[in-house]
Amino acid sequence: MAAITTGGAGPERADALAVAPDAPDARAAAGSPREGGSGARQRRRITRRARLRRDKTLLLMTIPALALVVVFNYLPMFGVITAFEFYDPLVGVMHSQFIGLDNFRQLFGDPLFWTAVENTLAISAVQLALYFPIPIMLALLLNTVVSNKIRAFVSAVIYLPHFFSWVLVISVFLQMLGGAGLLNAFLIHHHVTPWNVMTDPSTFKLLVTSQAVWKEAGWGVIVFLAALAAIDPALYEAAAADGAGRWRRMWHITLPGMRGVIVLMLVLRLGNALTVGFEQMLIQRDAVGHEAADVLDTFAFYYGIGTSNYSYGAAAGLFKSVISLLLIYGANRLAHAFGEDGLYRK
Amino acid sequence: MPSSNAFTRRGFVTATAGAAGALAMSPLLAACGNGSSAAKGSTNTKTGLAAALPTYKPNSAANPDIPIVQGSGGAVTDAGYLTYPANPVATVSGTPGSGGTYSAVTPLWGSIPAANNAYYQAVNKALGATINMEPANGNTYNTSVTALVAGKKLPDWIQLPTWWNSTFNVGELTGSQLTDLTPYLAGDKILQYPNLAAIPTAAWSAGVWNNKLYGIPSFASGATFAGCFFYRKDLLVDKLGLSAEVKSIADFENLLKECKAANGGIGASDDLWTYLAQPYGIPEKFAVQNGKLVHKYDLPQFAEGLNWAYKVAKAGYIHPDALAGDTSNANTRFYSGKCIISSTGTGAWNLMDAQSGLAANPKYNRQAFKVFSADGTSTPTIFVEAGASIMSYLNKNLTDKQVKECLAIANYLAAPYGSAEYTLINYGVAGVDHTMTSSGPQYTDQGKKEANQDTYQFLASAASVVSNPGMDQLTKDFCAWQADAVQHAYKPVFDNANITVPARLATADTAQAVEDTIKEVYHGLKPISAFQDAVTTWKKSGGTDVIAWYQTNVYDKFGSMQ
Repeated sequence: MAAITTGGAGPERADALAVAPDAPDARAAAGSPREGGSGARQRRRITRRARLRRDKTLLLMTIPALALVVVFNYLPMFGVITAFEFYDPLVGVMHSQFIGLDNFRQLFGDPLFWTAVENTLAISAVQLALYFPIPIMLALLLNTVVSNKIRAFVSAVIYLPHFFSWVLVISVFLQMLGGAGLLNAFLIHHHVTPWNVMTDPSTFKLLVTSQAVWKEAGWGVIVFLAALAAIDPALYEAAAADGAGRWRRMWHITLPGMRGVIVLMLVLRLGNALTVGFEQMLIQRDAVGHEAADVLDTFAFYYGIGTSNYSYGAAAGLFKSVISLLLIYGANRLAHAFGEDGLYRK
Repeated sequence: MPSSNAFTRRGFVTATAGAAGALAMSPLLAACGNGSSAAKGSTNTKTGLAAALPTYKPNSAANPDIPIVQGSGGAVTDAGYLTYPANPVATVSGTPGSGGTYSAVTPLWGSIPAANNAYYQAVNKALGATINMEPANGNTYNTSVTALVAGKKLPDWIQLPTWWNSTFNVGELTGSQLTDLTPYLAGDKILQYPNLAAIPTAAWSAGVWNNKLYGIPSFASGATFAGCFFYRKDLLVDKLGLSAEVKSIADFENLLKECKAANGGIGASDDLWTYLAQPYGIPEKFAVQNGKLVHKYDLPQFAEGLNWAYKVAKAGYIHPDALAGDTSNANTRFYSGKCIISSTGTGAWNLMDAQSGLAANPKYNRQAFKVFSADGTSTPTIFVEAGASIMSYLNKNLTDKQVKECLAIANYLAAPYGSAEYTLINYGVAGVDHTMTSSGPQYTDQGKKEANQDTYQFLASAASVVSNPGMDQLTKDFCAWQADAVQHAYKPVFDNANITVPARLATADTAQAVEDTIKEVYHGLKPISAFQDAVTTWKKSGGTDVIAWYQTNVYDKFGSMQ
């Protein structure tokens, strides 16, 4: 329950990307010659009331989304009380026995919990290193394609897997790499020792990352493409006229132009570092075993909800939320220190 | 519709909000409830159970073609029928209902029929009451019902399968949200509902909690076994020329080896572990040795069986997809012959299975191995489970009059095989849902969608019978397997006790970490020593307390209740 507040698994991460495209636009507008430095000074003089009047349409448009956040994220937060109780759903939150920090004491002494924390951090690190750069590279690559037709076709192909459910994605992987899949049927046929990738705990982190890349990388491209579109083509023309080659243009124009968005996505990614994909782990837990596949979310599910020990699950979820909050706060501070906007402008 | 629709979207949202503990919105949550029984734990006693149970008075509308066989440990086979009465007779006069409207939630393992369909309308008309059936996906039923329970949004009539008793905390629910039926049904009071009185006593026992009767059983059977090992006779015997006479675990392993070779080196069988309890003689939960309870994890045969499961997984006898945890396609693997051997509940051996299997392969023939013992020398044993695992309950909010109306309806639903009521409930309306043939009713396409799903049957139904119209051999084979198995049956320790462990021990009782490790061992990921380590850890973190609680609070007071 508390875990919900920091956002969920893969698909939600993509949603975060999906709402972001207006961010580069805002930057582009702010940086455009029309406003410039004087515009910023002017804005400070506008009263709060005038700003409200000016932005009322935009603010009204956020109300449905805000309502969703209140109903599904903020209201259930009262439930974190259960983390300090011996919660019994039949008795209710108010009448359950209050036990203070006992759940946390038990949690911190539970080796399975630490295994889950370790797995979460390790998978998150692998994903940060191997997954995060891929949408950026794909966006740069797509941006160089001149033909609109080819570009639209390639985008459609790489967006598609995002709409597959995890069950489907994992089934596809099973059909290809599983013990009875294409790869191993081929190996067995040619008398080579088969390698069942799907049930190998030692390579599980790479497996889940490659699944995430296959499914979500294409979708992640959208926000970076938007950032690329916001870069003024005149800059490229000028640079080209001055004799800058392809790599110089990328280094001095494209990448600096995308930097704000990349940092924003990195901050969001760090805030979600402890959310590494619930469904994906849940489905594959039986294949590689709980020591390889248990992350904080599945730990809360199996040892909290699964055994009707809701308080214990709530405690694990709360722990995760607190760490996530610290992470996102830290990452945002870091972004500001580097002179970027991060989540909001300082 | 006037009655509360427990599974409407709005209902779901409030129920989940309640579950998540939105205090401000649901003062109801705190309103009532005393957790006393949950805090202390509870169990049935032998005398208390006897006082709560109804009288048994058998009836039937047709004579079985394959008679009931009495086995050991109180086990009896189900009656087998090869014929269907051409003109079914009515067992209930008039309409049982008096115009009431009730909501009912049941699990369904199949495709959910359309709401308010012709079959529902016909049955409701015959009942003289409106039961708004809301079948919910059986695979996720445990989680959806937990939300209803927490939000105190239980429907008027609900089905709670006994294997989820601890998940739903039925022991505590019976004390707070469900109706006590003892005043209506105990002893001879049940005789005013003759079809309910014909449900065997063992089935009612599974619905008794803390010495009071709450549950109404469906599909009662005196031969409820956990499951067994199945094989494709058309492949194993007819094609490969192997013998299905398995006398020991060595024989079994040999078959697996041959099947793997026949399958081109990719697996022979689906997961086997769960049902290895039978050949290895692993008890349900406890064994009694010298007046002391011994948990199954501590028994040598448990480790021995698990080690064998590890060995066959390592040897590549278990299909790689099964090892990858893909359980949902187990049937497809069996139908396609990728798995020549499988293991599952005995309920899988029925007409619907035969139809699906024959659609995949015209020679499809499912058979079960007879019970055997691992060493091949000792007598095989199999424990017989509670007399019913499908149990429905009435909401505590119903008035006395409403409870009586529901029981009269339950009596109608529990009409015996071959009666007019049974025909309507199971086969729908003649000419619409089924056509009557010489071998019995055959579903129409509409009937397959609407009537051939367990909906009303999950609220109450007569004792199980074996009947597969049009496939007599299937009925004969199944009855023969049962007749053999009941001869080896025994009652498990704490039979029908419906024990509720205290809430503080519930987590340790579930032993999730040990069960996870067991899965890893039988999937060949970890050696048997990992299981022994997990048990040691479990004992330190509550396992020893759980065993001690059962010893002092149940065994020392009431004995093994076998």
